[in-house]
Amino acid sequence: MALEHLSDVVQRCQSLPADGYNSKDYDLFTVAGRTCIEEGNSAQVLSIVLDEKNQDIVRCMGWNLLPPLFQVLLKKEDRNRSQCLAIFNHLLQTCRPKELLIGLLEQLEQDDHTITIAESFRLLLSPLQTVLTSLGSRKASSLGMTLSSVLDQVAKLPVPNTKEQEEDDVFMLCRCCTDLKSFVRPFVEEARQNTLNSKVRSDLKAAGDQHTNEEELRTELLKFCMRTLSYPLLEAQLKDVDTLPVSPLREFAAEILSIFSAIGESLPKLVFQPIMKRKQVPGFLEEDVRYPKESLACLSHLVFVNHQAADTFPCVFSPVFILRANMEHVCFLLSRTEESRIHKGLELYEKSLVRVEDGCLPADLLEVGTFLEVPQNLLKVMTLCQDHDLRSRGLKVFQMSIDKYDTEAKYSLFQYMLNTVHHSGIEGYIIKNIKNQIDFALQPGNGNAWFKGVHLLPLVREVLSLPDGPETDLLLYLDRIMESLNLLRYLVIRDKVTENQTGIWTELSKIEDTFIKPLRVGVNMSRAHYKMELHNTQEAKKSGAKDDSLLSVTVGNEKLPNLNSASRAEAVHMALHVFDMMESVLVRIEELTEGKENL
Amino acid sequence: MAAEPTREWSDEQLKSDDLPKKDVIKFIQDNAAHSFLSEHKLLGNIKNVAKTAKKEQLIVAYNQLFESKRFKGTDPVEEVTEQVKAAKIEDKPKEVKTEVVDEGPPKYSKSVLKKGDKTNFPKKGDTVSCWYTGSLEDGTVFDTNIPAAARKKKQAKPLSFKVGLGRVIRGWDEALLTMSKGETARLEIDPEWAYGRKGLPDSKIPPNAKLVFEVELVSVD
Repeated sequence: MALEHLSDVVQRCQSLPADGYNSKDYDLFTVAGRTCIEEGNSAQVLSIVLDEKNQDIVRCMGWNLLPPLFQVLLKKEDRNRSQCLAIFNHLLQTCRPKELLIGLLEQLEQDDHTITIAESFRLLLSPLQTVLTSLGSRKASSLGMTLSSVLDQVAKLPVPNTKEQEEDDVFMLCRCCTDLKSFVRPFVEEARQNTLNSKVRSDLKAAGDQHTNEEELRTELLKFCMRTLSYPLLEAQLKDVDTLPVSPLREFAAEILSIFSAIGESLPKLVFQPIMKRKQVPGFLEEDVRYPKESLACLSHLVFVNHQAADTFPCVFSPVFILRANMEHVCFLLSRTEESRIHKGLELYEKSLVRVEDGCLPADLLEVGTFLEVPQNLLKVMTLCQDHDLRSRGLKVFQMSIDKYDTEAKYSLFQYMLNTVHHSGIEGYIIKNIKNQIDFALQPGNGNAWFKGVHLLPLVREVLSLPDGPETDLLLYLDRIMESLNLLRYLVIRDKVTENQTGIWTELSKIEDTFIKPLRVGVNMSRAHYKMELHNTQEAKKSGAKDDSLLSVTVGNEKLPNLNSASRAEAVHMALHVFDMMESVLVRIEELTEGKENL
Repeated sequence: MAAEPTREWSDEQLKSDDLPKKDVIKFIQDNAAHSFLSEHKLLGNIKNVAKTAKKEQLIVAYNQLFESKRFKGTDPVEEVTEQVKAAKIEDKPKEVKTEVVDEGPPKYSKSVLKKGDKTNFPKKGDTVSCWYTGSLEDGTVFDTNIPAAARKKKQAKPLSFKVGLGRVIRGWDEALLTMSKGETARLEIDPEWAYGRKGLPDSKIPPNAKLVFEVELVSVD
């Protein structure tokens, strides 16, 4: 039936000129042709398509046969596959590229099934390349459309994480990337030639139209590179050569970086982009769209952490300048919540810091926004990240960053952190750092203006204070308070009354009023409170009373069980132990200072 | 204070070859004051001192030690004051650091290979473009932006950056300000003005490396 319909419509159209077909002809041809292929009559369709007399018809309507053909091509063992392939190839040669392109892209975009996406992707890339090439110099926008659809498909595939996953490549993302590399190569080559020729031409007047086409091609390739950087490359943890000798993802990354130079974008400029003066580049895209932050951050990570492009990135930039540029990328990466981003942010920060010598970053860097923002982001990583490794790595990088600042900058950073951070553990950590800096400054030959003498006292005053006076929650602020006490004890032991290098001895009476006395009151009150609590708990246990707490805690709609009396008693005991600990340091400080203040 | 040490060897014994230098050095180091040792250049590892000191010098020192009685523990005050002095001296430059520092002579040297136009000198903040090749003292090239094949030079771009703003290593920043358009120069940059104690391990620049650059200043904008 369908075959007859097809023959009918073809015969009728043979007598018409190429622009004479009406929409009914189109419909008939499409429906009949598709049915024939679906019913397995592809041999007959092939002979019709190949018939010399039918070439006009094929040129105009042939592309409508793509969908059923493609379905057959996807099935490797279909007995009609070879005939369908022949039809497919003939269509590619005969039909008009614009329509073919639309037909092929439709097939590409249709696939939503993770298992088959890659199959159709790989099947379609080469035909798409053929079609685009035949478009000549006016292909840029079509190429852009194609690359965009192609990457939409890639985005549906999960990125392999481990070495084994990359080797197995279950979802074929790696193979897709490899195919994609060969797919863009001729277009990149064309752009490279254009760039070359335009240099030669630049003295002459650039031909307007041609120039626009070339510019457009470069822009489309740039968009493509930027998108691959944000996915899949930002998601991927590239393995080094020792871990994985052959890595499709690593090679893909290398290829993308090489495209930049082909289209006349220099890698250093891209890395430094965020800190360069904004200069509106005349072109198709605005700056932020042209150079998305996410992609630039990934690029910088590839260059500095994975050492991609190691042989093309100049080794003449100063480490501080590179750090300053990378701070923008680090800041962006650490402001995200995805662990892969945070991981890359920490790696990039670490690599940028390693290049800088200890104690050399000046305080005026802290006037650059990112240098204060990054510690804030790090703080979130250190305290809120689910992953233990990321938290401890964050702390390591944080300490490393502190070490790189000079003394004045350290001082400002500590002051800033103490004022802005509201996390007892981190505050304690900063106070410990302050103590280490004072200890360093007090050693012969290391004296500096910031961690002894006049400058030091304001910082010490900030440390030796209680956020809420005697009512401060001592358990909540435990880390901070213990480190403050340690610092005070250290100062009165290390600094002699007669030398008073830190100024602590002349400040002591004030500290007594603002810190020691309120803390002592706080300790006594808290201890009394918890003793009472202990007493109550024990009473309750004795009388065997039922749990009658008025408070309940729910997490994710699940009610947490109330503490039983044993663990409640244990908690109270621990609290009491903490107060004893604070008290013992307090007593020790008082012994050390007794009678000395008035000397 | 501990009892004074007594002479272990007579003059004859000292001169005799049976007594090795090391024994004498050890005795003096064990018994003499720090200041005495430093005056006689007898501080440090015994093996090294034995290499540099002659037997006669050691005998003189040995005898002087007993004449002057400058035994260990006799100059504590002196030692402390010396330490303090040392501390003070080191203190000063650090204090000044916030002010303008005189850093002494430049830590690079330049020899002109090809003269420039001598009129277009870059100013701080100007964008300069250059071709360059950087190598280590042993000749290992660690970086260049000049393509291997000459015909490919057209494909490459010279490196452009704003000069004098700390974007490149100090040696470059300072040297380029002295060059004029078209000049090619050979720069030997001390580690302090290059990558210093750290080097750039990822780019094969070892710690404390002196770097040699051949730089051609192509343009100044």
